Amino acid sequence: MLVPLSYNLRSLFVRRSASLLTIFGIAATVATVAGVLALQQGFASIYAESGREDVAVFLRPGSTYEGDSVFTRERGAYLVKGLQEAAVDEEGLPLAGIECFLAIRRFKLSGGETNVPIRGVQPATFAIRGDEIEIVEGRTFTPGTNEVIVGRRLTGRIRDCDVGDVITLNTTPCQVVGVFESGGTFDSEIWGDMDSILTALNRYGPNRVIARLADGVSLEALAARLKEDKQAPAKVLTERAYLSSQTTALSLVLKFLSGFLGLIMGIAAVFTATNTMLSAIAARTHEIGILLATGFRPVAIFLSFLFESLLLGLLGGLVGCLLTLPINGIETGTTNFQTFTEIAFAFRVTPSVLMTAVLFSLLLGLVGGMLPAWKAARLTPTQALRRG
Amino acid sequence: MGIFGLSLRNLLRHPVRSLLTALSLMVAIFLLCSLRSMVTALTAAATEASTTRLWVQSAVSLYVGMPLSYPTRIEAIDGVKEAFPFQWFGGVYQDPSNFFGQFAVDPEKLLRAYPELVWLEGSPEDFIGTRTGALVGTGLAKTFDWKVGDKIPLSGALFPHPDGVDVAWDFEVVGIYEASKASLDENTFFFHWDYFEKTLEVDRDAPVEVGAIVVSIEPTTSATRVMSEIDALYENGPQRVQTTTESEFQAQFASMFGNVPFFVSVIGGAVLAAIVLACINTMLMAAREQTHDIGIMKSLGFPDTSMFRLLLTQSFLLCGVGGAMGLGLALGSEGGMRELVSSMLPAYRILDETKILAVVLIVVIGLVAGIAPALRSSRLKCIDALSARE
Repeated sequence: MLVPLSYNLRSLFVRRSASLLTIFGIAATVATVAGVLALQQGFASIYAESGREDVAVFLRPGSTYEGDSVFTRERGAYLVKGLQEAAVDEEGLPLAGIECFLAIRRFKLSGGETNVPIRGVQPATFAIRGDEIEIVEGRTFTPGTNEVIVGRRLTGRIRDCDVGDVITLNTTPCQVVGVFESGGTFDSEIWGDMDSILTALNRYGPNRVIARLADGVSLEALAARLKEDKQAPAKVLTERAYLSSQTTALSLVLKFLSGFLGLIMGIAAVFTATNTMLSAIAARTHEIGILLATGFRPVAIFLSFLFESLLLGLLGGLVGCLLTLPINGIETGTTNFQTFTEIAFAFRVTPSVLMTAVLFSLLLGLVGGMLPAWKAARLTPTQALRRG
Repeated sequence: MGIFGLSLRNLLRHPVRSLLTALSLMVAIFLLCSLRSMVTALTAAATEASTTRLWVQSAVSLYVGMPLSYPTRIEAIDGVKEAFPFQWFGGVYQDPSNFFGQFAVDPEKLLRAYPELVWLEGSPEDFIGTRTGALVGTGLAKTFDWKVGDKIPLSGALFPHPDGVDVAWDFEVVGIYEASKASLDENTFFFHWDYFEKTLEVDRDAPVEVGAIVVSIEPTTSATRVMSEIDALYENGPQRVQTTTESEFQAQFASMFGNVPFFVSVIGGAVLAAIVLACINTMLMAAREQTHDIGIMKSLGFPDTSMFRLLLTQSFLLCGVGGAMGLGLALGSEGGMRELVSSMLPAYRILDETKILAVVLIVVIGLVAGIAPALRSSRLKCIDALSARE
């Protein structure tokens, strides 16, 4: 026979100051871990969800990042022209374009310097992406001019990123004529005409080629063909694969950080839970004696106190989740040190973050309750009745 | 028995509880010290920076270089001793996870500009005389077990070898150094600018450029004047430059970590909150159990202030022991932690101000945890305390 659960609920309530202190201690631990995980989720999702499977990215062999990749204009044009695997537009031209990319120095409105990516594109980029790029303010840039448009997440964070502002590239002033939104990494970028930007930045060549693949084209075959190409060898991968390869290092660091903090703070939280349960049991030795005398088995006593500890953990976990929820959606920026550019994103408290938090809190309760519950179950009725 | 002895006895009445509380405080103080030291390590290079070195970079982008004519023109400015390229190489040793900085430099000028560079093995003459010679920091030498004479192949991820993408750049370790100040990283790999430039000149789509220029100035010269003169030199192109002091140069990398220091403070706050709650919890339990004793002592004539001191002393004793263990752990693990994070935060050190902060926090936690039980005990009426059951 098990001890009724209401016994545990009532006793938590009777010792409410100790219970509350323990619950908040666990909550603080759980909230910290959940907060770091929410940061990692927000960061990873912006890369993972924006990459497309039907868009191929062509880089210089050996480079892992478009900033390191360089094509000459001739090689880029040669690649685009010979691309039978690309989908075509109404006029039969391949949906493929050359892009240039550079992380430029910009100043944050909050002070300090950061690296903002600037991307020069050809009209083909817009044809490839279709509705993906949406102008939310102003208009798009006119090809062949020094006009630029800025990603939505730059306005309000980076200096000179409102419609009407002027961004100076080396010595060339570029007028901001619009703000665009794509939902992905592009929202932290500045876009303009490829040739104008290359000229303004005094760069020698563009950085990558992108193409929309025709239906049924095998990326592996394309990659194999271009790897061996004599004139313009290239490394080909899908946009999704490219973008997720840019997050591995930071994601790993954040997961390590949440694990490290979880372990260290978890130890402290377990100690607190153990203390609370030990004192709960010391105060209730007499009651335990009565329970044992009325025929409850030691196993039932053990489970009862373990349940009480789990309940403490669970309550702590729920409070911790509540503490974490308000950070959902808060925008922040960090440097992705794989690309050394700043990327803006929002914290995302996803169901998996909350689930991890609750499971973690239960684990804290379980470990914290083990020793006290074991002690309680080992009491003999006479011993227990005599005390307290 | 004095108040102190009685406090100790009372704490030892529940050895497991006192131990667990002290241990959780130890963990918290250890975590706070290490987190704070990581943040201070981010900015350490900036605070110990040299005042006689200036850095010139493109004003446009970290990734854009300057024409090769720049150092020579800069050397003509009054007050400038020497200027030389300091070029990020970005090569990969065996695996991309073996990340460390490699720079192409002018060997003679580097040694003159960095008096904090201390030779451990090899000699300046070997470095200057060997075209493929590399001068490596003692941190790197330890990590990869490099010795003078070792051949080190680096694959040029940023600068592919002209003979092919799969061809590595070959280097030979000719010297190992350590740094007498945090302004020089002990995990850096220096090699000859000439080797770099001459290898790349062959078959290249774009001319070789220089990513950063180190300018050493006369100690008596005004850095501000030299900086504005250099910037003015290229105001209208071809590549505008941004000249900074070494401390600003280092700070720009620290500022790229963005909100990280802020996040670390938030985490530290959460750790503190959790631990204060744990200590309060323990002290409340202790005070409740001692109610009966307090009744007896009061009836024997001990004044209220003694009761106040008794509980507060227990709190300070508990937090002091736990906190001291935490600080001890942080100091004891300093070397190990530095090795653990050396690739990212080579300047990991527990500064004196961090130690002071830890001590202040321990005292504050002891006070916060002890004040409520202490007040309650001093105000208890003798009769109520005596009638309380343990």
